[in-house]
Amino acid sequence: MPPSIHPVDLITALRQRHLTPAIVFLTSRRACDEAMESFDHTNSVLPPARQEAIAKVLEQVIAQYPSIAEHPLIPTVQRIGVAAHHAGHLPSWKIAVEELMRHGCLDAVFATTTLAAGVDFPARTVIITQSSIRKARDFTDLTIGEVQQIAGRAGRRGKDLVGFAIVTPSPYIDLGVLTKGFTGHPEAINSQFVISYPMVLNLLKAHPLDQMQPILAKSFAQFQLNQRAEILERKLDDLHQQMEPYGPRVCTDWITQWHLYDQVRRQRSHRGPVRRHEPPDVSARFHFLTPGRIAGLAKSRGVVLRQYRSKGQKSPMVTLLRQGGAITECPAAIVTEVFDRVLDCTEAPVYPWCTTESLESLLRELEELPARLPVLPILVSKEHEPIPDAIVQTLGDFSCPTCPSRSACQKDHAHASKLRQEQQRNVKAIQALRTSLWHRFQDKIDALQHFGYLSPGARLTEAGEWARLIRIDHSLLITELIRAEAFTGAAPALLAAVMSSIAHDDDRPGAFPRISPGLGSLLGQVRKLAESLSPYEDPPLLRADIAAVTEQWIADPTLTWIGLCKKTTMAEGDIYRLLARTLEFLSQLHTLKDTHPALADCASQAIASLRRGVLEELP
Amino acid sequence: MTTEELEQLLAQQPIALLHRLARGRVQRHFRTGKRRLIELLLRHSAENRAGFESDLLALIGERTARPAAPPPRPAVQPARHSAEARRAASAHQEQEPHEPAVTLQAWLEGIGVPPPQPFVPDPWQEDALAKLQTGDVIVSVPTGSGKTYVAVEAARRAMEENRTVIYASPLKALSNTKFTEFSRIFGADRVGILTGDRRDNGQAPLLIMTTEILRNLLYDAAGGEIDVRLDTLGLVIMDESQYLADPERGVVWEETIIFCPSQARLLLLSASIGNPHDIADWLTSIRSTPCHLIKHSKRTVPLRAGYLHPDGKLTPLFRTLGIPHGHPGQWHPEAKRLFARYEDETMPSGRRR
Ligand SMILES: Nc1ncnc2c1ncn2[C@@H]1O[C@H](COP(=O)(O)OP(=O)(O)OP(=O)(O)O)[C@@H](O)[C@H]1O
Ligand SMILES: [Mg+2]
Repeated sequence: MPPSIHPVDLITALRQRHLTPAIVFLTSRRACDEAMESFDHTNSVLPPARQEAIAKVLEQVIAQYPSIAEHPLIPTVQRIGVAAHHAGHLPSWKIAVEELMRHGCLDAVFATTTLAAGVDFPARTVIITQSSIRKARDFTDLTIGEVQQIAGRAGRRGKDLVGFAIVTPSPYIDLGVLTKGFTGHPEAINSQFVISYPMVLNLLKAHPLDQMQPILAKSFAQFQLNQRAEILERKLDDLHQQMEPYGPRVCTDWITQWHLYDQVRRQRSHRGPVRRHEPPDVSARFHFLTPGRIAGLAKSRGVVLRQYRSKGQKSPMVTLLRQGGAITECPAAIVTEVFDRVLDCTEAPVYPWCTTESLESLLRELEELPARLPVLPILVSKEHEPIPDAIVQTLGDFSCPTCPSRSACQKDHAHASKLRQEQQRNVKAIQALRTSLWHRFQDKIDALQHFGYLSPGARLTEAGEWARLIRIDHSLLITELIRAEAFTGAAPALLAAVMSSIAHDDDRPGAFPRISPGLGSLLGQVRKLAESLSPYEDPPLLRADIAAVTEQWIADPTLTWIGLCKKTTMAEGDIYRLLARTLEFLSQLHTLKDTHPALADCASQAIASLRRGVLEELP
Repeated sequence: MTTEELEQLLAQQPIALLHRLARGRVQRHFRTGKRRLIELLLRHSAENRAGFESDLLALIGERTARPAAPPPRPAVQPARHSAEARRAASAHQEQEPHEPAVTLQAWLEGIGVPPPQPFVPDPWQEDALAKLQTGDVIVSVPTGSGKTYVAVEAARRAMEENRTVIYASPLKALSNTKFTEFSRIFGADRVGILTGDRRDNGQAPLLIMTTEILRNLLYDAAGGEIDVRLDTLGLVIMDESQYLADPERGVVWEETIIFCPSQARLLLLSASIGNPHDIADWLTSIRSTPCHLIKHSKRTVPLRAGYLHPDGKLTPLFRTLGIPHGHPGQWHPEAKRLFARYEDETMPSGRRR
C-alpha cells in the first residue's frame, strides 16, 4: 500500500462520487507542484466544452494581469480541470485560480494550509492530509480553530446541500488531532500585545506621560491580566479567611516574633543550628514548590500536590502528580525546573492531598500545557545566613518563654507562617499582573532615552519626532542607520537592497545572484550596527543574497520578471512578497520628506523603479 | 425557602462563595468566620429576601456550571488519561444510545445543489445590523456563514448618513478581493484602497486598507496630522478579527481598537473563537458604547467528515452522519479499522497507540 493516495486516483475517486469541486490541502508547496505534474500523462481529460469555459475565464483574468499569460500550469489546468494555489505563486495567479473556482470551472485545487482566511474560496469537499503545520521551523499540531477553518471551506452556501471534509492519511498524521478539531470547541484567544519603540514614541507624541498607564490599561492584554489577578484576589480573600484564627495575640505580630525567637533558640542550643544536608539551590527551589505549581523533571512534568520534610532526615520532599496520572512521593532534588505557572488546586488534608475534582482538572490542565513554559527565576542564596550574634545574645529579651500564649504560638506557628507566606506571594503576583505592562513600557522609554529619541522628561526629541514615523519591524535599526548617515549618497537600488535584507525574515536556502561590492560593504556596516543594538532589538537576518535580488531588479530597469526569476531559485511568489515588503519599508522612509528630503527622494526613486511589470498589477 | 432552609443552604456553601455573596451586603466581611458570616448574611437578607435568594442561587449555579461547561477543550481523550478519567468517559458513552454506525450510502446521500432561492438575510445578520445602531458589534460565526453581507449592509447604511467607512483586512490579497467586490456593489467611484505607497481614490467614502495602514492613520491623527477624513468616520469594519491572537501582528488589532475614534462604530467580524464574550466585555469596558456579541456555531451548510484510505476505499469518519460535537472518540468502526491498518503498515516502529 502506498503511504498516501496518488493525486490522479484521488481526483478520479472524488469525481466518481460527485464530491467535486474539492480543495486538497497538502503539506508543502512541493507536494502541490508534484501533484500537478502527476497529471502530465493521464488521459482523463475534460470534455471540450469545459476546456473552453476555462480558457474563457483565463482570458479575462489575463487581460487584467498579463504576467500570468505564460504560466506553466495553464495547459494542465485547461486539460484536466485541476490547479495549484500556494504562497510560491504570484498573487495574480492566485486570483486566476480563485476566479476559476468561483465560476465552477475546476474539479480540484491543490493548496497548502496557508490558503488564507477570508479569501472567498469554498468547495463542496475539503481533503485533509496532515494534522500538523510548520510554524517557525517547527511542526506543531493544528489547533481546533485551524481544523475548523480548514474544514469550514467545505460546503458552499447556495451551491451545496452538504459539505464534506475528508481525511486521507499521509505519514506522521495523527487522526486524533483532527477528530478533536472537528468535534471540539475552538480555543480561547489570548492577547499578543507587545510594546514596540514606535508605539511608545507615537503615544508620547499624542499624550503626556501620566496618561500612559490609563492607555495601557485599555489593552486586551491588561483585560486578560486583570482576569488572572481577580482569580488571585479571590484566593487572597480565602487566605484572609484562613488566617482568621491567627490574628493578634499577646504580641501583635506574633508570627514574626515566634519565628525570630525560635531561630535564636536553636542557634543558642547546644545542638547548634539545624544542619540541612541539602544544596542551596534545592532549598531555594523548595520554597516555591507549593500545591498547584508546575515542576519540570528530567523527562516530564508534574504538578506539586504538597510539600513536606521527611520524618528522619528532614529532607525536602514533594508529592507530585505526573503526566499520565501517577502520584509519587519524591525528594525535591529531582525537580529540575520550577515553572512560572501555578494551577488552581483545592488542597485536602489526606491523600491525594487535593479534592478529586481538583485532581481531575489538574491532570487535564497538565496534559494541555504548552510545550514551552516560562521558568521561574530563583535566586539562590550563597549559604544559610546565621542570625547575627547581637540578636542571639538578646534571647533574654524575648518574653516568649513565659508568655501565656506560648503553647498556642508554638503549635500554630508553622501553619500560620505558611499561610502568611502564601498571602505575601499572592499580593506580589497580583501587583505584578497589574503593573507588568507599565514596567515593560518603562523599559522601552529607558532605551529611547538612552538613544536620545526621548528627553529625560519623556518628551519627543527632534530625532524622536521623525523616528515615530518609522512603524515597521526593526525600527530602531533603521532610525539608527539614518542617524549614522549610512544611506547618504547611496543609489536607490542600494537603499532598497538594504531595506529588503532588513525586511526579509525567511532563512530558506537557495541560489542567488552575485552581490555588488558596494552592497557588500554597506551590509557589513549595517550588520555591525545591528549587532551593537542587539540588547535593545533582535537583529534581522540581513541576507546579502536576498538584498542582491532587489538590487538587480531596481538597478537594471530592462530586467524582465522572467529574467529576475531565472537569477535565483526563489519561488516567484516569494520574490514578489520580498519586493512588496521592501516597497512598504521604502514608503515609510518616504514619509520622512520634511526632515530628510534627500533620503525620502531616494526612497521614492527606488519605489518608482521597483513598481513595474508584475509589481504594478495590484495596488 | 424558609429561613431554616436558607440557613442550611448557606452552611453547605464554601466560604469563598459566602464572601462573594457578602460583597456590598456585609461590611468588612473578610474579618468574620463562617458562622458569623452566615448570621450577618441572614440578618441582611431580611431587607430583600427574594433578591438575596436569587443571587445565592445564581452563585451556586455558576459554581456547578463551571466544571460542566467545556471551556477551551470539551472532552478528554480517553486513550491517554488516568483510569479515573477513562472510567468517566466510558460511563459517558454508555449513556449514549448505541445506534448502529451510519452507512457509506447514507453518508453520501443528499449531495447536490439547492434550488435557487431569493436572498433572505439570516436572523443573526439582521440582528447584527440592528445592534450596530446602538453600539459596537462583534460577530463570531463559522467560516462561510455570510459575514460579508453584514459588512456590506452596515457600510451602506453608514454611507447613506454621509459617514466614512473603513474596511480593514489582515491581508493584501483579501483587500484586493474586497476592493473588486465592493466596487461592483457600490460603484467604483465610492470605493478606495490605501496601501503603504499608493492610494487609489483615497477620498472615497468607503476605504479599504490593511489593519497596519489603519493603525498608522490613527497614530497620525492622534499626533495632529489628520490625513483621511477621520472626523466623519462612522464605521470601522475589522474582518478576520481572530488575528487578534496572531503572535506577530495581533498587537496591531489591539492598537487599532484602542485608538479607534469614539464616534465611530466598530464592527468586528471573526471566525468561531473560544472566548468571544471576553472580547465583547473588553470592548464594552474601553469604548463609549456597549459592545454586542452576535455568536452562533451552527454551520449553514451541514458538514460530514469522511476517511479515504490510500487504496481508494471511502468510509465515514464518525459513527454519526454529522459531526458528533463534543465526542471526538465516536469513530466509525470501519475508519478505525482502516486507520489502524495504515498505522501498522506505515509505522512499523509502533510510534503510537
Ligand atoms: N442570508 C443568506 N442567504 C443565502 N446565502 C447567503 C446569505 N448570507 C450570505 N450568503 C452567501 O454565503 C456565502 C459566504 O459568505 P461570506 O463570504 O460572507 O462568508 P464569511 O462568513 O465571510 O466567511 P469567511 O469566514 O470565509 O470569511 C456567500 O456566497 C454569500 O453570498
Ligand atoms: Mg469573510
